[in-house]
Amino acid sequence: MGGESDMARPGRYTVRDDSTSTAVEILADGRVRVGGDGGGGEPMTVTPLCDGRYAVSDGHVTTHVRVTGPPDARFVSVGGQAARLEVEPEGVAPRRKPRAGAGETSAPMPATVIDIAVEIGQHVEAGAVLLKLEAMKMELPIRAPRDGTVSAIRCRIGELVQPGVPLVELA
Amino acid sequence: MIRRLLVANRGEIAVRIMRACDELGIETVAVYSDADKDALHVRAARHAYRLGPATAAESYLSIARLLEAARETGADAIHPGYGFLAENAAFARACREAGLIFVGPPPEAIAAMGSKIAARQTMQAAGVPVVPGETPTDQSDAALIAAAHRAGFPMLVKASAGGGGKGMRVVRDESELATAIAGARHEATSAFGDGTLYVERLVERPRHVEIQIMADAHGHAVHLFERDCSTQRRHQKVIEESPSPALTASIRKQMGDAAVKAALAVGYQNAGTVEFLLEGTGEEARFYFLEMNTRLQVEHPVTEAVTGVDLVKAQLAVAAGEPLPWSQDELHQRGHAIECRIYAEDPARDFLPQAGRIVGYYPPVRPGVRIDSGVEAGSEVTVHYDPMVAKLVAHAESRDAAIARARAALAEFDVLGLVTNIPFLLRVLDSEAFRRGQLHTGFLDGEGSDLCASPALPAAALAAAVVRHERAATTNGSSAPAARPDPWTTIDGWRV
Repeated sequence: MGGESDMARPGRYTVRDDSTSTAVEILADGRVRVGGDGGGGEPMTVTPLCDGRYAVSDGHVTTHVRVTGPPDARFVSVGGQAARLEVEPEGVAPRRKPRAGAGETSAPMPATVIDIAVEIGQHVEAGAVLLKLEAMKMELPIRAPRDGTVSAIRCRIGELVQPGVPLVELA
Repeated sequence: MIRRLLVANRGEIAVRIMRACDELGIETVAVYSDADKDALHVRAARHAYRLGPATAAESYLSIARLLEAARETGADAIHPGYGFLAENAAFARACREAGLIFVGPPPEAIAAMGSKIAARQTMQAAGVPVVPGETPTDQSDAALIAAAHRAGFPMLVKASAGGGGKGMRVVRDESELATAIAGARHEATSAFGDGTLYVERLVERPRHVEIQIMADAHGHAVHLFERDCSTQRRHQKVIEESPSPALTASIRKQMGDAAVKAALAVGYQNAGTVEFLLEGTGEEARFYFLEMNTRLQVEHPVTEAVTGVDLVKAQLAVAAGEPLPWSQDELHQRGHAIECRIYAEDPARDFLPQAGRIVGYYPPVRPGVRIDSGVEAGSEVTVHYDPMVAKLVAHAESRDAAIARARAALAEFDVLGLVTNIPFLLRVLDSEAFRRGQLHTGFLDGEGSDLCASPALPAAALAAAVVRHERAATTNGSSAPAARPDPWTTIDGWRV
C-alpha cells in the first residue's frame, strides 16, 4: 500500500499537554523516538490496531493507547485514564488559535448564565464581575480581565454556554 | 398485560428498561428534555415525546407533563426508573388515578417508607432490628443511664431536638456516661432551648448491606440476597458487590427473612431494597434497619448477575398483576459480581463533575462483563443531570476472579473527551482493604482518601502513539490511502 512507505517517512513533531512540550521524531525505519535530538529514549515501535488503538513497544513493555478526537485536540487513553494532547508537525504553523484572549471572559466549563451585571457601553475596571454562571450547583463569577468598555454581550440569562467562547467583549 | 410502556426517566436506566420491553414485546415510549433530544434513550424507544426545557423541574420531574405524554402516546403503563419521581407517592397515585399501571409499589407503601422516623417505628413493630435507641420519657440521670445500658456501648448521647452534632457525645463505657449526659444536656438546652436527650448505639465502621426484595399483588414476597455497598464516598455508592464478603450463611438468611418481613409489613409490591447497617463480621455480626428504597436500584445488575434473573421483567410482570416468577427456593447466588459506577468527575479535583462531549467511547467487550450505559461517542454530558456515564458489572466464579475481571475491563474502557473516575476505581479495586473485603462506609473518606490522586501517565508511549496517529491522519488526507482509517474522519452516524 502506498501509505505504508509514507508512514515511514522521517518527520519531527511537537507534542504538548497542559504543562510540557515534547519533541517526537519518526525515524527512517518507521519507529518513533520520544525526546528527540538524540537525547530521547530508545526508539519505540508503534503498531496500529483497529479503532484508533496503537500498541506501543519499547522493546520490553507494550502499552495499548487509544487515540481519537479532532486534529487540534487529540484525546488519548491508556489503562482507563484519558488525557488531551496537541500535536504539531515541525515547520508548520500551529493549527490551533492562540488561547489568549478567547478564554478571558469565557466559561471554564459548560454552565448556565444566571446574571449579567453589565450593559453595553459601560466602563468596567479590571476584576469587576461581568456576569455570573452556574454549573454543578456552583456560582462562578466571570470578571473583567482588564479595564475597558463593554462592546458586546454574547449571551442571555438562562443560556447554556460552552467553554472557549467569549461571553462579554471589552473595547 | 402491559402493551405500551412510558419510561419516565433518562440515561442508562431508561435504555435498560426499554431493552427488557423489547424482549417482552412491549412497545416503548421515551420522554426527553431539550437537553436530551438526541440522547441514546430517545432513539432506543419506539416513540418519543418532548417534556420541556432541560431543567428537571420542567421535564423529568413534571407529573403533569408525564401524564400528558402518556395520554398523547397511548401508553398504558409508566416505569419511573430510579431518581426523579421514582419514590414520589403523589406520582404513583396520579398514575393510578389516570388509569395507568405504575411499575412500582403502591403509593401507600412509598409513603410508609418515605418518613425515616415512621419507617423505623413500622419496622420495629414488625420485629425488624433497628439501631437500639430511645428518648426516655423520664429524663432523670438514672433513667438516662438505664436507657444507655439498654442501647449498649459504644453509644451516642444526643439532643432529641437538634442535629448538626450539637449536644452530641460519644460514650465508650459507663465511666464517661454521667459527664456526657450533663454536657449534652447543657449544650442541647443552650442550642435548642430543649434539654431532652436521645441515647443510641453507635455503629462503628459499619458496612452497608442491602437486601433486594420482590413482592407481588397476591401476598407473596421473596428476597434476592444481598448487595454490599460499603465502598462509598460521602454516602455515594461507588462499588457494589454480591455476595457480601462479610456475611455468613446464617446472617444472610436472617437478613433476608427480616427484609421480607419488612416488605410484608407495609403491603409492599414490586421491587424494593431494604438497607441495613452491618456491624462486625462472621456469626457475631449484627444488622440494623436503615431505610427502604421503594424502587429499582442503580446497582440491580449485581443481583441479576448472581441470581440469573431479570428484575425489570419481573417488575413488569408483577405490575401487570401476575404472580412472582420465582419461589424463594428457586433463587440462588452463583459466583460473585462487582459493579463499578463510572462517573464523569475528576477525583484529583475533589470529584468535580465534568461536563462536555464524549469524543470517543469504547466499552470493553469481555466474557462476564456487562455494561449498562446511556451514552455513546458524540453524547453530551450536561450540567443538568447526574454525571454517571456507565455501570460496569463483572461476574465470575469467585470474588478474586470478579475483581480481576472488573480490573481488566476497566483498564480497557476508553472514554475520551472528559475526565472520568476510572483510574480511581482501579485504585480502589487494587487497594489492600478492598481486596481483603474489609471496607466500611467511611473508608474512602478516611484511610482510603489518598486513592483519589491521579497516577502518572506513560507520557512517552502516549506521545509516540499520538504522533503515529497524526501521521496516519495527515496521510489520509493526501492521495495515498491511510494504513488504518482515523475514527475521527469516518464520522458516519455521529452526531457532531
